[in-house]
Amino acid sequence: MRQLLHDMNPSVKFVAVTLAMLTLAFFFDPWTPALFWIGIILMQVFWSRINWKLWFVLMLPFTLGAFGYLWTALVFGANDGSEAILTFAGISVTEEQWQRALSLSFRVMAFSTLSLLFALTTDPVKFVMSLMQQLKLSPKLAYGVMVSYQFLPVLKDEFFQIQQAQRLRGVPVEESWWRRLLNLRHLLLPMLAGAVRKAERAAFAMEARGFTGKAPTEFYRPIMLTKTDFLLATFFLCVLVASCTGGILLTD
Amino acid sequence: MLKSWKLKEIVLMSLFGVVFGIVYLLAIHLGNIWAGVIGPIAYEWMFGIWFIVSIISMQIIRKPGAAVLPETLAAIIEVMLGNAIGPRLILSGVIQGLGAEAAFAVTGYKHFNLAIMMLAGAGAAVFSFVYGYFLSGYAALDPSFVALMFTLRVLSGMIIAGIGGKYLADALLATGSLRGYAISRAKKGDAGA
Amino acid sequence: MHKDVFTLRDVSFRFPEDDKEILNGVSFTIREGDRVTISGPSGCGKSTLLYLLNRLYPENCDGIVTGDIRLFGKKSEVYAPGEINHQVATVFQDPDSQFCMPTVEEELAFTLENLQVPRIEMESRIRDVLELTRLSALRHTVIQSLSGGMKQRVATACALVMKPEVLLLDEPLSHLDPLTAQQFITWLEGLHKEVGLTIVAVEHRLDLWGSFFDREISMDHSGRIIADGPFRRKTPIFYTRRASAVETEPALSVDAVSVKIKNETLLFPLSFQAKRGEVVVIAGPNGSGKSTLLKSLCGIYKRSSGTVEPERVGYVPQSPEFLFLEKTIEKELRYSGFASSSEVESLLHRLALEHLKDAHPFSVSHGQKRRVAIGAMLADNRKVILMDEPTSGQDASCLQELFELIHERVQEGISFLIVTHDMEFAAAAANSVILIKDGRMTGKFAASEIWQDAPLLASHQLLPPKGADQHAAAFA
Ligand SMILES: Nc1ncnc2c1ncn2[C@@H]1O[C@H](COP(=O)(O)OP(=O)(O)OP(=O)(O)O)[C@@H](O)[C@H]1O
Ligand SMILES: Nc1ncnc2c1ncn2[C@@H]1O[C@H](COP(=O)(O)OP(=O)(O)OP(=O)(O)O)[C@@H](O)[C@H]1O
Ligand SMILES: [Mg+2]
Ligand SMILES: [Mg+2]
Repeated sequence: MRQLLHDMNPSVKFVAVTLAMLTLAFFFDPWTPALFWIGIILMQVFWSRINWKLWFVLMLPFTLGAFGYLWTALVFGANDGSEAILTFAGISVTEEQWQRALSLSFRVMAFSTLSLLFALTTDPVKFVMSLMQQLKLSPKLAYGVMVSYQFLPVLKDEFFQIQQAQRLRGVPVEESWWRRLLNLRHLLLPMLAGAVRKAERAAFAMEARGFTGKAPTEFYRPIMLTKTDFLLATFFLCVLVASCTGGILLTD
Repeated sequence: MLKSWKLKEIVLMSLFGVVFGIVYLLAIHLGNIWAGVIGPIAYEWMFGIWFIVSIISMQIIRKPGAAVLPETLAAIIEVMLGNAIGPRLILSGVIQGLGAEAAFAVTGYKHFNLAIMMLAGAGAAVFSFVYGYFLSGYAALDPSFVALMFTLRVLSGMIIAGIGGKYLADALLATGSLRGYAISRAKKGDAGA
Repeated sequence: MHKDVFTLRDVSFRFPEDDKEILNGVSFTIREGDRVTISGPSGCGKSTLLYLLNRLYPENCDGIVTGDIRLFGKKSEVYAPGEINHQVATVFQDPDSQFCMPTVEEELAFTLENLQVPRIEMESRIRDVLELTRLSALRHTVIQSLSGGMKQRVATACALVMKPEVLLLDEPLSHLDPLTAQQFITWLEGLHKEVGLTIVAVEHRLDLWGSFFDREISMDHSGRIIADGPFRRKTPIFYTRRASAVETEPALSVDAVSVKIKNETLLFPLSFQAKRGEVVVIAGPNGSGKSTLLKSLCGIYKRSSGTVEPERVGYVPQSPEFLFLEKTIEKELRYSGFASSSEVESLLHRLALEHLKDAHPFSVSHGQKRRVAIGAMLADNRKVILMDEPTSGQDASCLQELFELIHERVQEGISFLIVTHDMEFAAAAANSVILIKDGRMTGKFAASEIWQDAPLLASHQLLPPKGADQHAAAFA
């Protein structure tokens, strides 16, 4: 049970999540995003084994963002001309504005949680492979992304190594922080130039391994599409429809 | 569309997607902290950062798709890295990329001078703004405030993405590592135009 | 009766930015089952030639080819990118630049997927090739974290798993420890007998191959073929032994240095000293921690414990690229400003880089890059210089020149720490030898003793240098 979301086919999960987000964008009442938010949190609680500590850390900036939305929508909200329900430091807020501000903030929270649901339960490599196998993403592109993705830790190490190597060659370490910041371009350029060469070589390696740009018909580890995936997707949409209806009912 | 692309161009574009995916993510974090304090307008002046990969990669590769694809990839990488705004971001990546791509498409992928780069930056800004208008519900905000956001974003696109992107690509060309790409072939062609 | 594999007729090649031809009127035919070696001075275009044979060039560099290249009887242009590589497997020269997947297993699987091997067969093919190359333990290891030599072995496994008809090898031994190198030749011999594999190898150190090849194509500096005929056994390079210049004053002291990365100890605490004017060779099996040691001494890797005195040392890495800062080779050598103009000129000349002084350091051959890094360090006025496999990928005259350069600096009191798998070079240059195995230092031995101790050498995957007896005589 706790493994369900992790095992779900990444493409199906991706489509479900995207659909949910697009749908939510049409609702401006606070209840719909709030209900949906609770729904997906519950799904994560029961069907995944994500690291909740990490989850909270990652949610923190989004929560801040949601707060920013709340007060921007309050202060700069379009005025509908109705009566203010609240006045604070010379800013008056109407019922309508308050509702919308709340809605936008809940939307940020729901979107972020949904994203984390996807990100924390999906293996990136499987995701790309699934995009290629199920959604017919161009294999050239799929493998291109795969290859680039695995350079990520390498680039990180390299950043440090270039820095050390430049010191070794006698590139002076600047004292003031803004000069250091300015000198970052001496690091960024070798990094980018290094990336260009890595790209070229990786492409050579792929070609040398017989990659012609056609999708293989045989996979060492095929990404499967099972009944569970469709059940999960259906459940996902049910939660979505339920929160939309709930939202509409509760607003009236 | 990818038929005419060499594998090494695709990998280069993806790798740029990765590198800038990281840069974008850092920028989002920076922006988020801001945004908590001063609201979504915090992003506007720095929005150009998120368009830059389209412009660099188009300058180097010069093929249809070289703007929209890396931007999309950068967005996918942000999602893959795990702490971005999520799959929705991929869509915004596509739309920003299309904005930049549009600028190159209307000129028939023939010119790659500074003016076109700035136009592409502005294109990305306009497209992304229209999209943001719907998805983030800017309709709920005061029109004059929305206008301010729009202006800031277009300016940022032109300056940070347009001028900055051109500078980076030129500097990279000077390191001699771009042999075998369109930018090297066209070196004498229109660099000064 | 043997069909033609590669037929080149009057082929010339140049890079679009250059006006000089890299390959000049090259013609030859290679038939099924041939064992051919291509030799020639560093930078003469051997790697470029291999790139033409596996069809990575000219397409990928916009290179300009004239003449006729036929692969398996068909014009090279008719093949789609990657198509020919279903029959032709390549092991590239630079260990760092030939992988595209994260782990060893995935890299192998990727190859098999491209070949459309049925899934049920994949598992057994992967298992077999890993057993053959004795890499089973590394199956799930992340390739990027492997040592240079290990990467080279993985690359070989990837080439073999394809069961290719033709194997292109670009200096395949240059990063392997001596015993593994011997084994490698034995595998190839087996494969050749078994499946009649065609082998084309670029190689500088032909003496290591015994009588493996049956044909040798030699090229000269201008990219022309100067000889094409039966292969004759080569004798190892002979270096004229020089008097030791070791002084009594210590130049480098290393005290209890250890390295730990991600909770894995790569290097257990070790201590040693090097005197002024001393040449210390560091040797040991692939993946034993030699590069790690040098990186920790010069500060590229953080030391988990221990001290190094002095802090400022010179360093030539195994993959030299990330050292480069400048746009031309000449500027690269001048970077520190310590060396006078005439010294830089002389270095350029002696390292055979004179004609390349305006080239970008990134766009020269593998051996040339290594020499640029060596030159930059020699011009940099360092008292202690660490070199990671400076001998790999160098031709005989470059090796002699390197030997001379080291000898001259030693006279000035500069000390060298040199990692190398080249036993002949080691025997000629070293005053003492540090042996490393599994991240532990076995000890620091005087050069006069160690080359006689075959069991000790063998336990570190090393071989006594050919002609060791002559050197022994010199010490006597
Ligand atoms: N991408 C490139 N652009 C321009 N010139 C290049 C490029 N790569 C190599 N060269 C030049 O082409 C020549 C041949 O290079 P190549 O790598 O084929 O030499 P090589 O014979 O393999 O040398 P080594 O033994 O050192 O590996 C060299 O002089 C080098 O400077
Ligand atoms: N950054 C790293 N992360 C994890 N493991 C590493 C890292 N660098 C090296 N290692 C491991 O440390 C061991 C020693 O590597 P090192 O490169 O020092 O070997 P080496 O003696 O230089 O071998 P070679 O002769 O093949 O170059 C290897 O097993 C390697 O996998
Ligand atoms: Mg070479
Ligand atoms: Mg090493």
